[in-house]
Amino acid sequence: MAVDAISAEELTYRYGELVAVDHISFNVAEREILGFLGPNGAGKTTTFKMLTGQLKPAEGSARLLGMDIAKNVERVQGEIGVCFEMTNLYEQMTALENLNLFARLFGMKSFDGKALLKRIGLAGRENDRVETYSKGMKQRLMVARSIVNKPRILFLDEPTAGLDPTSSESIRNIILEERERGATVFLTTHDMMEADKLSDRVAFMNQGQIVALDTPHQLKQQYGKRALRAKVSTESGGLEDREITLDTPETPEAVHKLFEREKVVTIHSEEATLEDIFIGLTGRGLV
Amino acid sequence: MNWRIIGTLVAKDFSLFFRKRLFLVLTVIGFIMYVIIYFIMPSSVNENLELGLYAPVAIPPFVQIEEEGLEIAFVESEEALKEAVINGKYVAGVALPEDIADKLASKQKPNIRLYFTPDVPEEMKETVSVIIKELAYMQTGQPLSIEVSEEILGPDVTGAPIPARDRLRPLLAIMILMVETMGLASLISEEAEQRTIHALLVTPMTIKDLFAAKSITGIGLAFGQAILFMALVRGLGEQPLIILITFLLGAMLVTGIAFLISSVSKDFMSVLAWSIPAFILMFVPTFSVIFPGAVTNWIKVIPSYYVVDTVHRAANFGSGWGDIWLNLVILVGFCLAITWIGIMLLRRKFQ
Repeated sequence: MAVDAISAEELTYRYGELVAVDHISFNVAEREILGFLGPNGAGKTTTFKMLTGQLKPAEGSARLLGMDIAKNVERVQGEIGVCFEMTNLYEQMTALENLNLFARLFGMKSFDGKALLKRIGLAGRENDRVETYSKGMKQRLMVARSIVNKPRILFLDEPTAGLDPTSSESIRNIILEERERGATVFLTTHDMMEADKLSDRVAFMNQGQIVALDTPHQLKQQYGKRALRAKVSTESGGLEDREITLDTPETPEAVHKLFEREKVVTIHSEEATLEDIFIGLTGRGLV
Repeated sequence: MNWRIIGTLVAKDFSLFFRKRLFLVLTVIGFIMYVIIYFIMPSSVNENLELGLYAPVAIPPFVQIEEEGLEIAFVESEEALKEAVINGKYVAGVALPEDIADKLASKQKPNIRLYFTPDVPEEMKETVSVIIKELAYMQTGQPLSIEVSEEILGPDVTGAPIPARDRLRPLLAIMILMVETMGLASLISEEAEQRTIHALLVTPMTIKDLFAAKSITGIGLAFGQAILFMALVRGLGEQPLIILITFLLGAMLVTGIAFLISSVSKDFMSVLAWSIPAFILMFVPTFSVIFPGAVTNWIKVIPSYYVVDTVHRAANFGSGWGDIWLNLVILVGFCLAITWIGIMLLRRKFQ
């Protein structure tokens, strides 16, 4: 029987009286990308820290690759890669030295730092100190550092936050390549488009609890609203919006009437976004 | 503990230490300066015996004698004589009684008072007593019965004439050790400030590996430099094993202090702010060597006293294990206590 890459059971963490993570349970299959979404203070980072062995759960347990993280923290940490949201590189060392340092800590016998730097688009800058890098370059290096040990599970905390489109795209490609290699990816992000594009499933977290967990398509089917949006011209020469909700018994008649009675200038279908669904589920935005 | 990981971390810390220009300059320039200071200080003590003499009545031999190596200066009053001795103008003060001539004539014993500074060695005191008796002999042509009473001005300490530069050795060595405290504290606090510690803590590295590596780095930097300095200034000629062990413990001590400083520091400026009072405190015991008798027993509560005192006694007097074992035991206690507290506080900070 295949073992889940990540299996959390009633995972709980408290900061004093505040319950940051409240009895959450979920599984992530091998080679799956799970998008972990939620606003600030929802408990994403605390969950991230518990899964990576930085915090001990107050209750419940988490198993990574079949091993209880609380009991096998060093073994588990040898099999995972972690990319933090905030840059935490050795700024006075070069990119290559940063990667080589972590490769040695992981006990990698054959590690080609230059090849990895080339892969993330930092070829030619490998011997420059990190303090001379731009934010995008540092973030790419952070992602590179998290995969020096060819991790079986890759944890990424907001890997593209605040980056330019080119750097973001570069990082998204690396995530997909890592999944191709066989890694499971646990991705926390605020970027709904990114989560939608990359994730096999997404989990919405709010106030320490998982309020929804499914594929983006299923979530949209279940909680979203599909519609047709049209712009029609009025007698005075102006434009007005029209919206027809899809998937209802009245939809065909409404579409028919629209084209019969109005002068349609533009028309397009609209699908609910993950953000719409999150707001619908929690009554609050993601920021 | 995983020695491969510890070795990797130590190599990383040494590499980072020598990339920080401030610490590199402090270490290299400081080291060179300490050696230069040592070598420009006088290498010998003044062997001329300078005596102050208060003589209410003129005694011809006392007035006439100016032998090689004996310089006698006349002082107007006994109080002035005492003050001059305290100020270090004379090695000893000799005060003749007003009735010396009458007592000598009536074959009574006149009482000649000698004043010494606290750090004058016993041999010197004996020498002065002999000189006084010799002078009395010269006065009459036969041994005279006189009383010589000694008074120590200030607390008495025993000692031997030690060149000023050799007295400075423990001070300079402590300075070397303490500079490394600041370097290590800065390295550790930067791990927290730049959050690199979080990146390390999600690798197979354990917190024990981390502290072992930081300890090796701190002890290595401090011990290596202190020993190199002592070797350059020929401070390892007497009791080298004792000195090596003392500096090893001293390096452990400053590493523990670095852990404490970094546990309460957030950045380089706060490292600096906490390091300066620590430096001053750790330097205080060196005054006991430079100015013997100037400090009292309370300095024994300062851990660096046991480094300074042991090195001073071993390097300058050849004191053996029997003399300094208690110092080393107390020093080990301080090292363990300070390092343990430092590790506990840092552990809390990191986790």
